[in-house]
Amino acid sequence: MKFEIYRFHPEHDSKPRMQVYEVEIERGMMLRDALLAIQAKDETFTFRHSCGEGVCGSDGVNVNGVNMLACTTRVSDLKEPVQVRPLPGRPVIRDLVVDMSQFYKQYQSVDPWLQRNEPNPEREIRQSPEQRDKLDGLYECIMCACCSTSCPSFWWNPDKFLGPQALLTAARFVLDSRDQATEKRLDALEGPYKLFRCHTIMSCVEVCPKGLNPTRAIGHLKAMMLKDSV
Amino acid sequence: MSRRASGLQAWAVQRLTAIYIGAFFVYLIGAVVLSPPADVGVWREQVGGGVASVAWLLFILALCWHAWIGIRDVVIDYIHPPVIRLGVLIAFGGGLVACLLWGVKIILLASGA
Repeated sequence: MKFEIYRFHPEHDSKPRMQVYEVEIERGMMLRDALLAIQAKDETFTFRHSCGEGVCGSDGVNVNGVNMLACTTRVSDLKEPVQVRPLPGRPVIRDLVVDMSQFYKQYQSVDPWLQRNEPNPEREIRQSPEQRDKLDGLYECIMCACCSTSCPSFWWNPDKFLGPQALLTAARFVLDSRDQATEKRLDALEGPYKLFRCHTIMSCVEVCPKGLNPTRAIGHLKAMMLKDSV
Repeated sequence: MSRRASGLQAWAVQRLTAIYIGAFFVYLIGAVVLSPPADVGVWREQVGGGVASVAWLLFILALCWHAWIGIRDVVIDYIHPPVIRLGVLIAFGGGLVACLLWGVKIILLASGA
């Protein structure tokens, strides 16, 4: 099978290029396996990967124009030639490895931990099954950045718009019955940029490898803000 | 609580104006299809009628406001240099205000005010 891989080494290349590789496909082969096969042939090729099971979120790449995890993508499902590029809109460090600093900074900015005004109880804080159900579809995010880097609003304003991943995380804590900083969290999202650059394009929903729906989470945030303001 | 800033307010206004614009279009298309005006004079009388002229004025205001928020969103997304951004916003803002005043003038003339 023919693969065209984005190659760029800042010390050697003045501009990126696409390099062609032929890989012998085995039954059940995932894209990560193909990339490893390429790496075995060409040691200069670099990409991030770790668990190989869609849990760590390290190997998010852009394949034939769509962001996905290499480890959960069957090569047999891909159209040949398979064009593999780094996640869009992020500075390339080398080959398929991008600088994720901005993405992590946006995640950090939503204070992704439970906050309470009351002192922490000695035992765990209990939730009803209904309260717990509200976290489904929010807590499963593995931070692979497939969503944020497929979002046009994030491409244009990555320093100001928080992006679907950070907003999904914000919703995860706003909707958590154990968190007591809802007001503060919603206030922090006000303004034209952080939340309201989302125009419901829904690229994030289309590419999320965990099947999550950041657009719906963003909708919850907007609705809660509105409810809180009237 | 201060959420008066542009984010939430603009988002809420865009949706409210969209609802009004949508409802007005349904009314307008229904009115034209069910009882089409015989000539321009009848059409002018219909538009200039008491309740109708208020509905039309609200429609023009909603349309311009909605367009302004939409244009501003596009400009914020794509045009980053402050001077160019300000210039484009002034150009579109001025154009929309002109459209608004023109629309108001048409309705007022039709109502004989």
